[in-house]
Amino acid sequence: MRDYFARRLRRLVPVFIEPVEGMPPADPDQVTSFAHQFLRAGTPAFRMLFYAMVLVLQAVCLATRGRSVYSLPPEEADDFVRSLYSSRFAALGAIPTVLGTPIYMAHYNRDDVQVRLGFDVHEMRREAAAREVRR
Amino acid sequence: MIIKPESLPGDVRREADVVVIGSGAGGGPIAKELAEAGYSVVVIEEGGHFTREDFDFRAADAFTRLYRDASQTVALGLPAIVVPQGKTVGGTTTVNSGTCLRIPRHVLKRWHLEHGLKDIGEDELNLLYAALEEYLFVKRADPEVAGKNNLLFLEHAGKLGYSGGFLPRNAKDCEGFGVCAYGCPSGAKQSANVSFIPDAVAAGADVYTHCRAERILVRNGRATGVRGHFTDPRTGARTQRLEVHASVVVLSAGAIQTPSMLMHNRICLSSGWVGENLSIHPCGATLALMPEVVGNPKGIPQSTYVDEFAPEGIMLEGVTLPPAVMAITLPWGGRRHAETMRDYPFIASYGSMISEHDSAGKVVAGPSARQPLTFYNLGREDLDRLKRSILLMAEIWFAAGAKRVYTPIDGFKELSGPRDFMRLSRARLKRASVYGLSAYHPMGTCRMGSDPYASVVKSTCETWEVENLFICDASVLPTSLGVNPQLTIMALAMRTAGFIDEKLESAPTKGEEAGRLERLRARLRSEKEAVARRLSGESTPR
Ligand SMILES: Cc1cc2nc3c(=O)[nH]c(=O)nc-3n(C[C@H](O)[C@H](O)[C@H](O)COP(=O)(O)OP(=O)(O)OC[C@H]3O[C@@H](n4cnc5c(N)ncnc54)[C@H](O)[C@@H]3O)c2cc1C
Ligand code: SF4
Repeated sequence: MRDYFARRLRRLVPVFIEPVEGMPPADPDQVTSFAHQFLRAGTPAFRMLFYAMVLVLQAVCLATRGRSVYSLPPEEADDFVRSLYSSRFAALGAIPTVLGTPIYMAHYNRDDVQVRLGFDVHEMRREAAAREVRR
Repeated sequence: MIIKPESLPGDVRREADVVVIGSGAGGGPIAKELAEAGYSVVVIEEGGHFTREDFDFRAADAFTRLYRDASQTVALGLPAIVVPQGKTVGGTTTVNSGTCLRIPRHVLKRWHLEHGLKDIGEDELNLLYAALEEYLFVKRADPEVAGKNNLLFLEHAGKLGYSGGFLPRNAKDCEGFGVCAYGCPSGAKQSANVSFIPDAVAAGADVYTHCRAERILVRNGRATGVRGHFTDPRTGARTQRLEVHASVVVLSAGAIQTPSMLMHNRICLSSGWVGENLSIHPCGATLALMPEVVGNPKGIPQSTYVDEFAPEGIMLEGVTLPPAVMAITLPWGGRRHAETMRDYPFIASYGSMISEHDSAGKVVAGPSARQPLTFYNLGREDLDRLKRSILLMAEIWFAAGAKRVYTPIDGFKELSGPRDFMRLSRARLKRASVYGLSAYHPMGTCRMGSDPYASVVKSTCETWEVENLFICDASVLPTSLGVNPQLTIMALAMRTAGFIDEKLESAPTKGEEAGRLERLRARLRSEKEAVARRLSGESTPR
């Protein structure tokens, strides 16, 4: 991923993943590193769309809130993302959907996050390793 | 042998009786059958080879390693629909849910009447299905490991009077680890990577991994081999070249890549049906916030079904989502998203699959053979059926005590009770108002038939136009199947292997030809040596 977009994405992580009690906080480096891998393995079309959405998000924020998305206070950032998701215009709803795909995937792929959600991957891995099924 | 590019000293040039492109539901059985019949078989697979130790319960990583284009393949249209496909040894079977259903009788009848495929008899198919079911350990999902999510849904569907049951699956001693779509970590699921391909290899087949077939070699109207190249697994860059000369070429690259290959090779195109006739079984999903923990995603993800509405083309089938996938399914962001995800243990899920009536799609050549463009238009009737399937799932979830049901329909993302339910049932949906749809069964893009002007392959799966080129994968299914297709693709592959065997038996095989050539060369060599010795005055040893 180009450095420019990696930097932007790192700063967008808290906009998308709000800290909530009982859950590990988001790790912008982990998210950026996964997003890099996800975009490289994916289609050129999605890659282009993703980069475009980073720019469009900022443009929409400047137009509607009068300030950069990266400088919105948490409450307002949340409200902004929520307004996009519930917009009547499908194109606006597509912005957070596209951006959120690698961001949410990366965060909820973490072992510590999955364990906290009751999906004990360590236990499952141990169980699976001990249970080789042969034909 | 399973061969990785890093173990090769340079370009590969070789001969074989049969070369198979793709190692999934179509390619796997053909490779096994023909290798076991004694033919030399080469399989070319674009994806990598992974074993159960590599499958680590991280869904997001599985997308980048096991799926084509990290699962970002989309059918363009209103609405856009994600169509994930496997790209690994075993093809999509390595990442599928393991459901094994036979073709419904009325669909086979349609094949007979509308596509002239009477010679695919019900009895013959049933024999093939039975053999496959035994080989793949197919049995009904065990209620012990079916998962609370699936059981709850089935129980409450039953209470509402809807028929359903446990799905037949190709899993041996399944423990319900719940991650079939990201690679089975115990090896229970009998996908091609643990069944057909290892058996083909044991019988002498060679499988080249990280190798993409590009050219189908054709001389005088006959397929004579395949040319392709390896790729670096880390960077995706092209590395060595591969050329295999063979008596028979089998194209089993799946319903999207197969027509793309034909288009880029400019072969078999005169019927006009290559890439046309795409059906995908569009799928909707509902999430339900339950008052109790549903144990996600443990349990078989797709263990139960409700088929009460199958005659209308609606099949409801179980699905469970690991956190990374549920997170991208939710229709919100920010705080609401994080709070809903915190409720993950309480969120149940179920899916619906629509058998197409008035939708249509096609695959057209894209900027490269690897990147074809797929278009799909969801028809009005099918959109209504999709809505009905979502209402049915919501009804069943509410009957099971759900506090809220989340749907993929704009304006109805969250249903909190009967009023919302009624509002949705009265609404006339626009295509653009459904989002996040997916489809797992692309098929039909090189359809089989008895008329060379209206189909791409004969009932033997040999193409009408290029002799010795067979197509055997989801692309040959002439109509939407209405049920999960892998078992039918495998049955057709077994059948096709029989026709290839007959063909090869009646002609000298490449192996035999190579053997004959080798013996001829050896005789010539020894005769030359004898002449040289005579000329130099030595006596010929007796
Ligand atoms: C998540 C998911 C769940 C599913 N669950 C079920 C289920 O429970 N039951 C069921 O019946 N069906 C299921 N399916 C569908 C089923 O798995 C497919 O219909 C079936 O595997 C298709 O078989 P195929 O041979 O056409 O293609 P595939 O199995 O996809 O095999 C094609 C192979 O060809 C390779 N290939 C493509 N192009 C090239 C090239 N140029 N060179 C070399 N190799 C190439 C690909 O990498 C791939 O490995 C599911 C699908 C998905 C995505
Ligand atoms: S549920 Fe688990 S053990 Fe069973 S087939 Fe799927 S991944 Fe394998």
